[in-house]
Amino acid sequence: MRGRRAVVLASSLALVAGCTVLPSLPDPVPSDITPTVAPSLVARGGGNLSPDGFDAVRRMAVRIRNVGCSGLSTGSGFAIDEHTLITNRHVVADSEVLQVSTYDGRDIEVMAASTAGLADLAVVRTDDPLPSYPELAENDPRAGDLVTVVGYPDGGALSVTEGEVIGRTTDPLNENLGEVLVTDAPVEPGSSGSAALDDTGRVIGVVYAKTSDGRSLLIPLSTVQQLLSDAAAFATLPPCD
Amino acid sequence: MSHPPQPPAWRQPPDTGHPQVVPAPSSGTSAPAAAHGAPAQRRRRSRAAVVVLTLLLLAALGVGAYLWLTTVRWQEDSAAWEARARDHAAQAAALQAELDGVNAELLSAREQLAAATERITELADEKAQLGDETVAAQRYLDYQTRVSEAAGVVATALGQCIEAQSQLIGYLENRDAYDPEDLERFADDVQAVCDEATQANEQLQQELQQ
Repeated sequence: MRGRRAVVLASSLALVAGCTVLPSLPDPVPSDITPTVAPSLVARGGGNLSPDGFDAVRRMAVRIRNVGCSGLSTGSGFAIDEHTLITNRHVVADSEVLQVSTYDGRDIEVMAASTAGLADLAVVRTDDPLPSYPELAENDPRAGDLVTVVGYPDGGALSVTEGEVIGRTTDPLNENLGEVLVTDAPVEPGSSGSAALDDTGRVIGVVYAKTSDGRSLLIPLSTVQQLLSDAAAFATLPPCD
Repeated sequence: MSHPPQPPAWRQPPDTGHPQVVPAPSSGTSAPAAAHGAPAQRRRRSRAAVVVLTLLLLAALGVGAYLWLTTVRWQEDSAAWEARARDHAAQAAALQAELDGVNAELLSAREQLAAATERITELADEKAQLGDETVAAQRYLDYQTRVSEAAGVVATALGQCIEAQSQLIGYLENRDAYDPEDLERFADDVQAVCDEATQANEQLQQELQQ
């Protein structure tokens, strides 16, 4: 009797268990199928373009023509805000008139210029707004970091060159207080005042010289920031004698 | 030959209208009673088996019907999904073709943009070079103007020198008619004018040689 009940019970359990493994009826086909992952509408390969197709690196660079007291010279510079440029002291020295032009050839009216006494740096204020200006990095770069230099070598067309930070050295020209940076990014006369940028487009220094073995010398960002924070560090550019 | 033990048979109590409890007989029941209970027990087993089999058959039929219904539904569902998939595949193919076309246009636009930006850079450079040349030319023109003006001044000074010297020569040819001191003073003045003219001329020559 017990065996029979056990068989019946086992059969019932098997029946119930069998029912659980039976396939369920399908759900109705939905009328609207939405993707589980929303499609991306971000264009690929656009980069950091402005509406006119130039990237921010080029838009911040300016060409400086120094119509000097005794001659004509050219140099480079870059914007740090809407009306302020950074360049080298020797780029604007002995000038009668400073003429600034942008990446697209527009002329920018210069209001005033001042030079630093303890570094080969100058600040130029403009009446007209500048197209773009970069962020400053938080710290000086280290050896091996990538560096991008944007400027007007030989007074020619705007160009971008790349290299690596090699290290620090004392200033061979004795123009700057403290150490300067050495990089292998190619520069030429006329590149003076060019911005040196890191791999994220932030300023890490200012080009001011080239060595005999083809290396470039930068005023480090820390020196630039130190001088910019001290209003007394800059004096008005003297007029021609 | 011994008989197998049989379960005890229940004796039918007399129908007194009241339930009676009848004590179970001892194990030594009689063989005819056991032989009489076996067919009934078999019938009960057979009946139970029939019931169980019937239930199993019904269950199997139910499961079969359910599986048939499930199969039909899944077939319909599969067909619907396939139709939907083909529809979406057609849409995807059309969109892919459209995307390829748009990407080709985008690539072309980017190439044109790159060419345009390069041209803008070239034009900006040409403008800058022209500006440099203009400034240099203006400075040279200013220099030439200053030199011309200086040359004019020198020429005037030399002319005055020559004129004064000619006048002095005339005076000296008629020396007796003039006071010697006046002649000497005039000669000194002429010499001063000529010295200034000579000095201006030397400065001009030095400037031109630079």
